[in-house]
Amino acid sequence: MIGQKFVDPVSQQHYALTQHDSFISASFYSMASTCEVLIETQDTFIAHTLAKICLGEVDRIVQKFSRYLPGNVCHAINNSQGRPVTLDDESLRLLKFGQTCFDLSDGLMDLTSGILRRAWYFDGSDNIPSQAQIDALLPFIGWEKVTVNDNHVTLPHLMELDFGSIGKEYAVSKLCELSLRYLPDVSVLINLGGDIQVTHPRRDASPWLVGIESSEEVIPLVRGALASSGDTKRFLLKDGVRYSHIINTNTGWPVVDAPTLVTVHSSVCIQSGCIATIALLKGSQAIPFLESQDVQYWVRDSED
Amino acid sequence: MQLNHKNITQSLLGASCTLLGSNVHAQKWDIDAAILYYGEPDRVQAIEAIVSGTKEYSTDHSLSLKVVVDSLTGASANGAIEQATPQTFTRPSGNGQYTVDANTTPLDDTFRDTRVQLSAQWTQPLNRQWVYSGGANVSREYDYQSIALNSSFSRYFNTKNTTLTLGASLSFDSVDPVGGRPVALSEMVVDSGQFNNENDFDTAFNLTRDIDSENRNTVDVIFGLTQVMSKRWITQFNLSLSDVDGYLNDPYKLFSTVNNQGEAISQRFESRPDTRFKQAIFAQSKYHFSRSILDASIRIADDDWDISSQTLDIKYRFLLNNNHYIQPRFRYYQQDEAFFYQPFLSVNSTQPDYISADYRIGRLNAYTIGLKYGFKNKKGNDYAVRLEYYTQTPENPGVILPEPLTNEAVFPSVDALILQFNYSF
Repeated sequence: MIGQKFVDPVSQQHYALTQHDSFISASFYSMASTCEVLIETQDTFIAHTLAKICLGEVDRIVQKFSRYLPGNVCHAINNSQGRPVTLDDESLRLLKFGQTCFDLSDGLMDLTSGILRRAWYFDGSDNIPSQAQIDALLPFIGWEKVTVNDNHVTLPHLMELDFGSIGKEYAVSKLCELSLRYLPDVSVLINLGGDIQVTHPRRDASPWLVGIESSEEVIPLVRGALASSGDTKRFLLKDGVRYSHIINTNTGWPVVDAPTLVTVHSSVCIQSGCIATIALLKGSQAIPFLESQDVQYWVRDSED
Repeated sequence: MQLNHKNITQSLLGASCTLLGSNVHAQKWDIDAAILYYGEPDRVQAIEAIVSGTKEYSTDHSLSLKVVVDSLTGASANGAIEQATPQTFTRPSGNGQYTVDANTTPLDDTFRDTRVQLSAQWTQPLNRQWVYSGGANVSREYDYQSIALNSSFSRYFNTKNTTLTLGASLSFDSVDPVGGRPVALSEMVVDSGQFNNENDFDTAFNLTRDIDSENRNTVDVIFGLTQVMSKRWITQFNLSLSDVDGYLNDPYKLFSTVNNQGEAISQRFESRPDTRFKQAIFAQSKYHFSRSILDASIRIADDDWDISSQTLDIKYRFLLNNNHYIQPRFRYYQQDEAFFYQPFLSVNSTQPDYISADYRIGRLNAYTIGLKYGFKNKKGNDYAVRLEYYTQTPENPGVILPEPLTNEAVFPSVDALILQFNYSF
């Protein structure tokens, strides 16, 4: 089936609607990913409305938190030169969540580590940076140097914040919230580039079937959320060593012996995403770490 | 090196909920309401209202509550044999009589009751592999009350494609029949003018009654296996054992003693063993075709009363456009009689310890055919209506009938109509 194409008049984003047996899918491109909203309905009006709500919300989150756009919250913090920046409630909550991730991961997950991309380009090549390049960046990394208060954040000069590691999962969970508000009784699956959450079970309790990146495996999803961390395409290869794009923020070097891809099922997408990311940061300890969590998980290794 | 990793799943869930400014834990209730009518022509009529609600908390934590209220009225076969002459019986309370016409199945028309049942069930995962479910059930009607507790543990295997369940339930029932419990095998006292006054009748009546309530305890154990065969196919196998101990008579059921001319010369109260051990296996398979769902199950059961039974149940749901569906159903049930079942007692036989003429534990075949139609509206609410016809045909388990009784309906059949409306929101 080929979807019909439409434009959301508010965000000016394009989307396509496709009617399936028991649901309608809306697809669009955002956050550098193919995104999909599956709605268990046959009513195209409902599908159009929810598609526009989702497009609008994703666009809002990108406009507000993308580090590539000028004039937004992220830009204001990164250009504050060490001065406190007063924040709105949502931004503060995201930063406090970042604090929790940093604490729970014993410092492995760090929203200030994005600066390392100045040294590491994961383009599949063999361009490994020198230790000197990395050493020059390390002093500007470390969440413990960031202060978050009741209504403002203070980031030391020359450090950078990046919401990229939680942004997509956050958007998935937010879309689910909005969907539940608009369609409290309809099962909706939100998929932003493989990060997925279901609002509530389908009427006949049958699962939504979800494929995993570069794999034949299909995961049946009745409720909850799936998120993956790792990437089968973003890596460097030199002298037979594969450098993953997951970087240990303490050493500035890619994590070794980590699985290529970790997929986690839990209640909420942002929770799944953090567990998957922390698992990869644990390197060879990824599987023991996942085993000690109350989640279902799938792991792919580079040998696959 | 094996490190100890702390479990951060719940902390992350809490942080996620705070971040989303939402209460992901507290989802709303899913409510299912139904009203059911059950009617046997000239016999029992029942109206039942069922309201159940399920609330999902975090992933896989759920609470279910259910209230059932039903009201039964009408007449029920009292177990005595049909005769060519009218018959008079004493009401279960001892107050008054009822007379049954000639060539008519004896029915006790004083049958009415209201039952209220409350149940609650909590289900939660214990860890990645184990799920616990526990619940309680209280039921109360005029002459019967029951309290039951249940627990089950399930373990997932094979990325949740296989589930093994071990469950048990205990139920404590108490029976307090109208007019007291009839003494088993005692003869029904019928006032045909032989008593001088009411006191004499009461004295005779009370001699056939025990006034205290009696208990019945049940232990059920169930072992289940659920296997996902493919994306479209799911199967389930259960093995269940049940041990019942206590007062198992139906206090309102009689059996007739019949002479060689086929005449009922006395009506006595039935007597059943005070233990019963049942075992059953159940297998179900559900297959989701592209536009239809086939659900077929069989159940084979057996007990130490020698009641063995087979059930075949097939439901086939056709998925129509716009979330409408139509579902025909066919059910077949066959049962062999209990070892102490006799449609009547011949005067030539010695009276056994256990005897019952209750058609429900006799040899019988039953068929149900039905149709269910349902749809889901735009808001996702479900409506459904179900109409079923049930017919039960008893069979003579090999009893030789005295000649005059061959003209009577010794094994009367029972028909019933079932109509149910459902609404889920």
